[in-house]
Amino acid sequence: MSQVLVAPAEEAPREADIAFEGLYRACRDDVYAYVASMLRDRAAAEDVTATAFERAYRKRSRFDRRRGEPRAWLFGIARNAALDELRRRGRHAELAAEPIDDAGAAVDESAEESERRLAVAAALETLEPRDRELVALKFFAGLSNAEIAAVLGVSESNAGTKLHRAVTKLREACDGVL
Amino acid sequence: MESSRDHDKLAEALRALRPAPSIAFAAELDARVAAGFPRPAPSGEAPLARFGARLRAMKPRQLLLPAAATALTLIVVVTIVVANYHASHLNIDTSPGGATTQARPTGAAASPERRANEGELLGKITRGYASAGNAVETPALPSSSSAEAEAPAPGIVESIPRDQSQGFNASVNHRDIEHSAQMTLGADPEDVGDAAGKVFEAVHAAHGIVLRSSVQNGSAGHAGAQFDLLIPSGRLDDALAAFSGIAEVRSRNDGTVDITAPTVGVGERLQDSQAKIDGLLSELAGSETETEREAIEAQLTSERRRSARLGAQLESLKKRAGLSHVSLKIVTGGSSTSSGGGWDAGDAIGDASHILAVAAGVTIVGLAILGPIALLALLLWLAYRAWLRRGRERALG
Repeated sequence: MSQVLVAPAEEAPREADIAFEGLYRACRDDVYAYVASMLRDRAAAEDVTATAFERAYRKRSRFDRRRGEPRAWLFGIARNAALDELRRRGRHAELAAEPIDDAGAAVDESAEESERRLAVAAALETLEPRDRELVALKFFAGLSNAEIAAVLGVSESNAGTKLHRAVTKLREACDGVL
Repeated sequence: MESSRDHDKLAEALRALRPAPSIAFAAELDARVAAGFPRPAPSGEAPLARFGARLRAMKPRQLLLPAAATALTLIVVVTIVVANYHASHLNIDTSPGGATTQARPTGAAASPERRANEGELLGKITRGYASAGNAVETPALPSSSSAEAEAPAPGIVESIPRDQSQGFNASVNHRDIEHSAQMTLGADPEDVGDAAGKVFEAVHAAHGIVLRSSVQNGSAGHAGAQFDLLIPSGRLDDALAAFSGIAEVRSRNDGTVDITAPTVGVGERLQDSQAKIDGLLSELAGSETETEREAIEAQLTSERRRSARLGAQLESLKKRAGLSHVSLKIVTGGSSTSSGGGWDAGDAIGDASHILAVAAGVTIVGLAILGPIALLALLLWLAYRAWLRRGRERALG
């Protein structure tokens, strides 16, 4: 379906445009990875990622750096968009799980690495959605503990504790592969 | 050391599992970002949805001005409605015995009812207004719209149809209203005589009576004239309009007093008295002894005296309702502005303070209305936010 597109009526401040452009370039793949790990649905992840960036673009002039890092702000928007999608579909992330995206697998990986990857993927499936979200924020999106704390609305020490527990659970679920 | 190596292996395995966007999606999103997330053309959209989309696209500070304008408009409308409501209630407050004061439109036409009462009353005026005017005490005192206004003198009659249920006597379907007016005209000293002559002409044209008059010639401030006039109530508006045309009007106050209660009361007592006289006459005709006759005659004399006194009171009241007392002054000296006829710095300050007072009143009324609404909206918004947050957390399981 073709759609006629029109440019926004109002020109945003140039500084905000430049900052958003840089944020987008730095975070596009990270946001997608985080959202995809929550939704377990590639098409939905693409929609939600686009929605998150569009919301961030519309709100870019309202962002106040004194209230947090732009990266944490962007992931907060992405998290809300992903949770809204989960609510809309009335299901939990784990119930909608698709097979793990195999795109990250290297062609020339060793058998040991391949076995480890599959074990971690299986272990990841056994985690609670909240724990899986923490792992995704840390290892897929590459956020610091302080940024994770800002996204989840908890203290940094609390975020670190929760993350440690999630990783411990993941490691235990790997059942000696690591 | 071993733990650190395990952590590295785990991190490496997780990185290998990291979902990556497809090249097509990445390219499409890049293009949308580069274009600034263009919106679909609004041609097929409903006007309301289009308006909503435009509102959502606006920044908070852009919304501030229209929101403030809307709130201000709302405040003004509410204030006007409230003010009119109060004004309308004040204007109809003419309870029995109550006194009202209001500004009359200059030159307003008199009602036919009022004119009808004038003929019979004018014939009785020459018997002396002043002595009759104070014959009966009225339960209410006249009031004035101005602090400097003098107490209105007794005046003449007006019949106003009225809801019978509000009267003290159910058979009375009209009100007896006494009118009075005070007017001050400003003129140059050399024009005082001419103006006084025009006042006499105007009184004559209105079939009124000049009770007292004094004209003083001299310099500005000393020269002047003063008139106590009786004007038929039905012609009061015309007479005041004529006076206004003689010279510059510096002040004017109109007053009304409802004298229905005393009028009806005296009338009823008079009827009782006459009935008693008739009864005494009958008793007198049937009396048989001299002693009995003398006693009845004594009562009859006393009752006739009382009946005559009540008749005089009733006549006096009717005169007060039928003729309006007008106190007219012609003054000289002093600028017209100092008497309120113009506009100077003092008036400007007065006007400004009045405007500020009105604005403060409008703001208070507006806040009283919008405050609770805003508080309710805030509570609803907070509740919605809490509900949304809880729903999102629940969605994560």
